[in-house]
Amino acid sequence: MAESEPLKPKPRPIVRIGIFLISHSLLFSVVCCAAGVVALLLLPVLAKNTYISENALMPGSAHPMLSSQDVSEANKFVQDITILNLKSTGASIGIPGMVAQHMEGLGAEVSYHKFHPELNKFHPLHFFSGPDHGKIQENWTCSSYGINAVGIIRAPRGDGKEAIVLVTPYNSLKISLGEALSLGIASSVFSLLTRVTWLAKDIIWLAADTQHGEYAAVDAWLRDYHTPIFGGLETLNPETCQEISNSYELKNSPVTGADISDVFRRGGTMAAALVIKVSDRSSEAERDTLSIYAEASNGQMPNLDLINVVNYLAVHGQGLRVKVEKLWSLHDSMLLKVLGQIFESIGKVARKLNPEWKFGVPVADYIEGTATLASSLYRQALGVPTGSHGAFRDYQVDAITLEISPTFSPYNKGRKTEFLLRGGRLVEGVVRSVNNLLEKFHQSFFLYLLTSANKFVSVGVYMIAFALLVAPLPLVAASLYSDGTKQDFSSEKDKPTSSSAPVDAVSFKSWKWLHAAKTVFVVYIWSAIVTLLPYIISQVPDCTPTHSLIIWILLSVFSLLFLRSILGFSFSFISVSQLQDKEWALLKSVTISGAFVGLCLMSIINFATAEIGALLIVPMCLMATPLIFDVKDWSLRSLTRAACNLLLTFVGFPPTAYIVTKGLFEGFGSVNVGDFWNWAESLWMWTSATYLYVCMVHLPCWALCVYILLHHH
Amino acid sequence: MEERESETSNKKKNKPWAFWSWAFASVIFRLILAYFPRNLNFSARPEVSTPLTSFRRLAEGYWLKQSSMSPYAGSMYHGSPLLLSILGPLTVRRYLWTSVNCSDVKIVCRYFMDGNEGLPNQLICSLVFVIADFVTAMLIRSTGLNLQMAYNQSLKSLGLVRLLENSELILSGDIAALVYLWNPFTIISCVGLSTSPIENLVIMLSLYGACTRRVPLAAFGWVLATHLSLYPAILIVPVILLLGYGPDAPPRKLLLQKFRESCSCDCSSQDKEQTSLHKELANQSVQPMLFSWKPVVFFTLWACMWAFYVLVLCAISVKQYGGLREMFKRTYGFILTVEDLAPNIGVLWYFFAEVFDFFRNFFLIVFHVNILFMLLPLAIRLNHRPCFLAFVYIAIASMLKSYPSVGDLALYMGLLGLDQLLRISIQLYADMQLSFFLFCGYVGVSLLSPVMHNLWIWRGTGNANFYFATAMAYACLQVCIIFSFISFMKTLTIILVVESVGAMLNHDRKLRKLSATAA
Repeated sequence: MAESEPLKPKPRPIVRIGIFLISHSLLFSVVCCAAGVVALLLLPVLAKNTYISENALMPGSAHPMLSSQDVSEANKFVQDITILNLKSTGASIGIPGMVAQHMEGLGAEVSYHKFHPELNKFHPLHFFSGPDHGKIQENWTCSSYGINAVGIIRAPRGDGKEAIVLVTPYNSLKISLGEALSLGIASSVFSLLTRVTWLAKDIIWLAADTQHGEYAAVDAWLRDYHTPIFGGLETLNPETCQEISNSYELKNSPVTGADISDVFRRGGTMAAALVIKVSDRSSEAERDTLSIYAEASNGQMPNLDLINVVNYLAVHGQGLRVKVEKLWSLHDSMLLKVLGQIFESIGKVARKLNPEWKFGVPVADYIEGTATLASSLYRQALGVPTGSHGAFRDYQVDAITLEISPTFSPYNKGRKTEFLLRGGRLVEGVVRSVNNLLEKFHQSFFLYLLTSANKFVSVGVYMIAFALLVAPLPLVAASLYSDGTKQDFSSEKDKPTSSSAPVDAVSFKSWKWLHAAKTVFVVYIWSAIVTLLPYIISQVPDCTPTHSLIIWILLSVFSLLFLRSILGFSFSFISVSQLQDKEWALLKSVTISGAFVGLCLMSIINFATAEIGALLIVPMCLMATPLIFDVKDWSLRSLTRAACNLLLTFVGFPPTAYIVTKGLFEGFGSVNVGDFWNWAESLWMWTSATYLYVCMVHLPCWALCVYILLHHH
Repeated sequence: MEERESETSNKKKNKPWAFWSWAFASVIFRLILAYFPRNLNFSARPEVSTPLTSFRRLAEGYWLKQSSMSPYAGSMYHGSPLLLSILGPLTVRRYLWTSVNCSDVKIVCRYFMDGNEGLPNQLICSLVFVIADFVTAMLIRSTGLNLQMAYNQSLKSLGLVRLLENSELILSGDIAALVYLWNPFTIISCVGLSTSPIENLVIMLSLYGACTRRVPLAAFGWVLATHLSLYPAILIVPVILLLGYGPDAPPRKLLLQKFRESCSCDCSSQDKEQTSLHKELANQSVQPMLFSWKPVVFFTLWACMWAFYVLVLCAISVKQYGGLREMFKRTYGFILTVEDLAPNIGVLWYFFAEVFDFFRNFFLIVFHVNILFMLLPLAIRLNHRPCFLAFVYIAIASMLKSYPSVGDLALYMGLLGLDQLLRISIQLYADMQLSFFLFCGYVGVSLLSPVMHNLWIWRGTGNANFYFATAMAYACLQVCIIFSFISFMKTLTIILVVESVGAMLNHDRKLRKLSATAA
């Protein structure tokens, strides 16, 4: 090989750039990682103002038509509900029937939807199966069921192919005032929409019964809406639940008197859905406040245009204060204040140099933006929907939850009417905008992070931070890989190339990584086993979270040892003498490649998880060096490296990472070791991809880093 | 791919039972996976089942035929009518079974909702594919043994006995067979009930027949493969070369030139004994290189006969439904005109979804001629290595074909294993610097592709470009793998002239050095 080198033609410039980068990978990776973190911190500064991208929406172009007549009717409806609620406590019969009757009175097609809440259970193979397979429910208990009332207005100008959904969740057992008010808002809008002539999409009002959970009710209705089963409720009911059906019939007739059909009614494809809620707590601010919740499962967001329309109408039309969720604990962070000041002063300097440059925001805005961004990242990373709007996203319907917090005390009647009018007009405006749509929402962004209700960071910007963070990974992998191969060249050169030199060693030189790949492969198989272990553990009855976590960890360790004994040593085709002490370099190279592939995959599935995960994994992977070298060296540099390594691996272990983060945000007093189990449980209950990420990308990477640290030859 | 290390380790142990145990382990692994069809649901993946290979479409075609309609009605089935007669009964038994219980409407409903009713029959179906895979692997194995014997002979004639000692360690056929059996793509396409294992089987049958000079078998395999999926028609070139020249050997020119060179330099420096020895060897080696026409003529005759036979059978089975013309229109026509633009891992669907209608015919011709253009230069350049040529052809076809699936990839990966080992024995494989990169690339693409598909189809947050990006990455990897190998095989390709010249010099230099040390 050595002889042939001078004969090789000079590599092309792009190859030379690659070689240059690989040879300076240390400097490059430090610069890139630092730039990645800085870019992440810069995101609130780089956020753009939202704008309405779809022309057809035209929010606020028409005067609101909702009159005080509609509102007073709605007010009466709210009062009726509260009276009924006070009168017959415990009887769940009344409210759905009453809502249905009211809907029918307004002139809509009404039907009941009876559903059995599905228990979220961890099923190991659900992760890998297709998203749309029909779920088969086995053992329905007859005792637990809920009834949604559904009203549909057929659009006079439409062909019935599209629909807009309004959802008002309420607890049919005990309705709170806020829930009653949200029903009131929906009813006022509904009564208006039965009369208007401009309606081109069907309006579906789903009064969701939340006694078994808000999400479950909406999800059950959506599943039945999209499953081609035809026929009435009786066909859905198993024969065994006879007495329930009877009670259902009983309840059905006396309340309404009319023949409300129990046939499942459908409108067209859903264009958008609004979940309307009224908060029970009154807001402290001087104006009514509208909170927007948008995160669906796995960090999916509705189209930004929908949020924009709501935001525009709420601020400019109804004078509401719009806010999105924030991490309050970041508000008094000194670090952020300092950073904000730095960015502000940089912005001032930039503006002095060239007034065209609009860079930098005030400190307060920066902190606000960062807190919102952090919350947005966290909610998306968790992969658990923040409300019942999440159920819509699984069917590609854009949906958000509007939670309005009134400022008045609940018994102030005049303010209540005004509040209903405002809420109603907001919803009416949004419906009218969405009604104008000719196509599905597609114009604006699906992949974005909010830094305030009217500022966003688009995918093109936030991807830069992530790309900078992970860019060192392939480079370092390549440099380690070439190191591992180069080692071979030199060792071969040292040896006289006698004819007896093993030819295998020469020919397998570039395939040496297979040995490292085998180790990595075994660890990934192990991680798949660890992922599935909770399925067994959750079967154990009466187990506290802490115990479950300990069992989980112990079983994982045992399975690792077991796999190592059966797969780890049974075959190794390269003898140890050939590998020398560079084995860890190849192993690290393969580990880093695995982490890179995993992170890139995750960034597509759920960007926020990948970003947060990259912050933990990337330094850990890049730093990992066998401790034995550092200890042998015994210099300040190597000792700091060893200390950093130990710290990073400690923090990188998923349970400790969780506990440390939780402790930092909520104080260490309230932290319990079992919390991690609860957290993981909630993740797999919602089939969040974050669970898969933690178990199948983060954990094996961590294990391999520990393996490299403990490496000895 | 991950499993390759296990195979390589096996080879080192060199125990016969190791191969069989791994082979049977792979069969058992397949059967276990086949037991969970609903959960894994591979048959619904666009990467696994294309309009041509989908088993569900085959079931639909059979159902149509049973109810005395044309199996090609409704553009559902596009395969061969023979396949319908052979595999069809397996599908129908399970639908008959359901039809006993349910009304007609429900059968259709069930059929569309879920193709995997009736577990036992479903297992029988997958058993057929598992057997097909296993037989293919066995054919690869014996082809490998055959190639190796031929190669050893040619090395002997070159006088590189030292190399021979090493290559005896390596049972190339075993490894290639195991690479084929344990390749995740093979497993997926087998478990996913696509018909590509059967296509692979007939292709391999043809190559095996050509390698072992069983002319009727080679002709049968080639005719059937062409009948099933059209693209293997181009394999006629390597098959004829195999029959004419015999299995792979170092280039004839190298043999002649090198021996002249070495003779001339040896004459000046070394004693005459060796020179005479070399001359003898040179004479020996020149002898078997002549192109023999006899088997080729036989092959043509047999191919005509088999083709006639197959066509008669087809004509009988599609007699009532429009005859052979309809069949050609619905099978070959469907392949050539790229009618189905449903996304797959190829690149054509995207292109033809975008292109204007009046350019469509032009681009159809361009894309298909693309494959034909490469035939001749490659055949001229690689005529001394027909098996490698077959690998390159299959790889190119699987990249440019209209409905590619991972099953095609599985086949050429297996053949790659076949060539790979030859390469190891001549130490060229050591130059395979890209191996790690390619490996990571394949892992990445095979994981990305379902995610992108999900993002586009189910979540609606992505669009077609997302999925197409992975298809392009996949095509790039294939290009990488083909060209890196071709350049190792010292082929002058237009794109990689510089690299291939370097590799050619390398290879020549190495051979020279080795023959010098051997001498």
